[in-house]
Amino acid sequence: MADAASIEPIVEMRGIEKAFGAVQALRDVDLVLYPGEILGLVGDNSAGKSTLMKILTGAYQRDAGEILVAGRPVHFRSPHESRAAGIEMIYQDFALCGNMDVGQNIFLGRWPLRGPFVDRRRMYQEADRVLKRLKVDVNSVYQKVESLSGGRQQSVAIARAISFEPPVVILDEPTANLSAMATERLLETMLELKRQGVAQIIISHRLVDIFAVGDRVMVLKRGEYVGDRYVRNTDEHEVLEIIVSGTRETALTADEASPRRP
Amino acid sequence: MTPTKTTSLKRPPPQLAGGWELGLLAFLVLLYLGGAIVNPIFFGSTEALHALLRDTSRVGIIAVGMTFVIVNKDLDLSVGSTYGLVAVVFARLFASSFLDLGIVATLLLCLALGGTIGLVNGLLVTVLRVPAFIATLTMLFIGRGFVLALTHGQAIYYSGKAREYPLFFHLGEPNLFGFNNQIAVFAIVAVIGAYVLAKTRWGYETLATGGNEQAAVYAGIPTNWVRVRAYLISSLSATLAALLAAAQDKGATPLYGVSWELTIIASVVIGGASILGGRGRVIGSCLGAALVVLVDKVLREGWPITRSVVIEGETIEVSARYTLPAGAVLVFLGLLLVLAVLIEPYLMRRQLAARLWAWLRGRPPPPALEMGGVALEGVQTKGAMAADMEFSATGLGKFLARRDALAIMLAAVLWLAGLALRPDYWWTLSNTFAILLNYTELALITIGLTYVIAAGDIDLSVGAVLALAGSTAAYFLKVLGADPMTAVAMGLVAGMLAGLVNAVVTVGFKLPSFIATLGMFYIARGLAAWLVAGRQLTGWSEGYNLIGRKVNDVFTYLGLSLPPGIVRTVAEVISVQTIWMFLVAVIAAIVLAYTPFGMKVYATGGNLRAAAYAGINTNRVRFLALLLAALCATMAGIINIAYFRSFNPVAGQFRELDAIASVIIGGGSIFGGHGSMIGSLAGAAVITLIRALLQLNVQGFSMPQHWINVFIGVILILAVLIDIWVRQANILGELRARIAKRASAPGGTHG
Repeated sequence: MADAASIEPIVEMRGIEKAFGAVQALRDVDLVLYPGEILGLVGDNSAGKSTLMKILTGAYQRDAGEILVAGRPVHFRSPHESRAAGIEMIYQDFALCGNMDVGQNIFLGRWPLRGPFVDRRRMYQEADRVLKRLKVDVNSVYQKVESLSGGRQQSVAIARAISFEPPVVILDEPTANLSAMATERLLETMLELKRQGVAQIIISHRLVDIFAVGDRVMVLKRGEYVGDRYVRNTDEHEVLEIIVSGTRETALTADEASPRRP
Repeated sequence: MTPTKTTSLKRPPPQLAGGWELGLLAFLVLLYLGGAIVNPIFFGSTEALHALLRDTSRVGIIAVGMTFVIVNKDLDLSVGSTYGLVAVVFARLFASSFLDLGIVATLLLCLALGGTIGLVNGLLVTVLRVPAFIATLTMLFIGRGFVLALTHGQAIYYSGKAREYPLFFHLGEPNLFGFNNQIAVFAIVAVIGAYVLAKTRWGYETLATGGNEQAAVYAGIPTNWVRVRAYLISSLSATLAALLAAAQDKGATPLYGVSWELTIIASVVIGGASILGGRGRVIGSCLGAALVVLVDKVLREGWPITRSVVIEGETIEVSARYTLPAGAVLVFLGLLLVLAVLIEPYLMRRQLAARLWAWLRGRPPPPALEMGGVALEGVQTKGAMAADMEFSATGLGKFLARRDALAIMLAAVLWLAGLALRPDYWWTLSNTFAILLNYTELALITIGLTYVIAAGDIDLSVGAVLALAGSTAAYFLKVLGADPMTAVAMGLVAGMLAGLVNAVVTVGFKLPSFIATLGMFYIARGLAAWLVAGRQLTGWSEGYNLIGRKVNDVFTYLGLSLPPGIVRTVAEVISVQTIWMFLVAVIAAIVLAYTPFGMKVYATGGNLRAAAYAGINTNRVRFLALLLAALCATMAGIINIAYFRSFNPVAGQFRELDAIASVIIGGGSIFGGHGSMIGSLAGAAVITLIRALLQLNVQGFSMPQHWINVFIGVILILAVLIDIWVRQANILGELRARIAKRASAPGGTHG
């Protein structure tokens, strides 16, 4: 994204602070996300990745700092509000109801209505359309989710998220529970979403995945921002080094570290 | 980046007892002094204190065992039954009028029985993964059934033979120091229990298992064994208490240990143990037991009053005693349980006492404990292994793959079995009518319970709420002479209030539904008995009873007569309540299957977190489901007294067992997320037919009622096991796959 600066960011977080009791979980963290960008968020355990994302979705309330979504300052009090603003989060454990079928899960909580009844035909048609758009292979929208493999359940969770047509999707450790093949398929799905202009943030321990699809990788360490890099300008070795020995003082932004920087 | 604070090795916090125990002790002393002031004759003597300690002993011993179970995040509802059963079995084995065994053999057999019960409980809960409350509740009913069957409702005494064995029977007597030996036994058990739980690895393993079983498993703790062990301890302590009772009373009655599970769970929870697991101390439980026994005694003993009696125009002051009517004690103990369960999460975790103390001293309050810091619970993956059988099959296979197939087929088979056994009688109009009537009451309760179970909760109080609603309506009709409409309205109000309490405690206070409704199970039944003073009420206007009559009777009452023919025949068979039940069932079925509310119920039961994240107000869904269950039970209660033209305090007994079994047989899952109205109605038909078949007089033999309850209990456990292992874990599919693999693996050695 060489010309990233000319596009308006879809999400901008500035100077985020968060403390849990005596523990300072986040210290003056900035984050920028552009439309159609895949940003990898990495760092050690307790680096503050999940906390940062929970603050973005409104699951936690920030102590200081500001968040802009599509240029407008926002303050989400709950995940419902951030969803209304177009930010979807996909949880590590997918948050699906195993006892219900694929169609019912994609429309969980907002089943289409005809009179007082659920409009089943429209629900399954829409669900089918969303799945086709994602190019995922789930046998049928009538299948119970508990009978699907982990990877397919993940696909349903993503289908559910993008059926809201959000501009931003956050994936929390999306590949943690997946087989190699399912991971491959997930990465394809993410690229498909990127083609459709959806900005994505992946929280992951697996640098390989981020390097396979990501545009940019950002490193957090003990609640502080310690640098970010364009994937095409860096390698796993450098990112690992930042994770291990980066500090706030030596942090470089992706543009600063870029060799083609003006 | 150096941490500002490091840990410091100060004195470790106390493990055996703490502030809560001190507070309990102080409260206990105050309560006793209060009792002594109100009723000096009863509480003022040292004898009273001795009696209190003696009666606390047995409750306390069981409470010690129960502490281990509750700290494990389990529950043992069967202790009262175990206590009663062991005492009765002791009597049957020992009494010279029965088996006349020696004391050693009797004791060994009793211990074996107690151990077996504990082991069965433990295995059901751990290896077979049945939820603790459902497994042990069934054991409670089965145990009670055995007690009734073994005693035939009669007391057994053996005081003559007991004199030959002074060594054992001395355990129940006062000793040389002037106090009862039971107190000494209790003290020993309490000290051992306290040390084991607070100071040993066994205890630490228990605390870890209750705190976070997943983490405990990862840490290499054999959690299944830890939980089985706790059930064994609990069962064996109930056995010990029963043996002490046998030594003291030299006899046993079938009422031994009735509703003791309530007393004991209340004791443990008041003692500071958390029903949510991971917290509890034996000393606290023992003090809790003393408190509950004291409250029980105060309530049962009543307080002295002076009553003026007018005899031949002269007013004479007579000293009398005000005692609470039957059922009242149960109400208070049930309330105590519900309140006690709230203590730990709302008082102790929020450090209210420490805050108050700091506030009184003008100091800043202690820092709030961080909550939710660690992963609270592992992700529930249930039924993830179920194959997509339902999806791939066609025709008959498709029907068989339905969750309610079992119930529908069973209902048909059972009806045919009845026909085969009594071809002369089974198909007759009168028998069909009787079966249909029994069916109506159960089906009505089941309708509401289906919603609750599908939403992932449970309602153990449906039978008791039925009794409460019936009792209230009967009270208004008979005692207050109200008109039928008022009586129905009041019955509804009473039943719905019970439902409201269930819902508020479960949803509002975030307690497990089984504990909230268990409290209501006792409260509502106690209130029902209290209202009618334990008697049967009968005789009121026939207008009310029309709710429970056949359609034709209603027409006759209204002065109409139907022309003879098919319409009249139907009107002579179908009663008003059956029509009403079907109406309710149809509406409930449509709402559950086709409306967003039904979907929300399934989503809530399937994955609470996912449903909440999807914007479903899961609290509202669960609240409404619990209210609906109470409403259905209430309607059943109002109809019940109309049908019988009287109210009997035992109305609706065991109905919770029947109704839960119906829903589970009909495809519901005890873990929530499943259940359909057709399935539940078919399940209710299965249970009704089983009861009818067992009561059937085949060649002069019919089964007594208490054995039928044992049988229904076994069926409930089987249904839950089938649901867990066949429907969800798909054990049949696994077996088939394994057999197929074995057949193909040797490379065609079988040709």
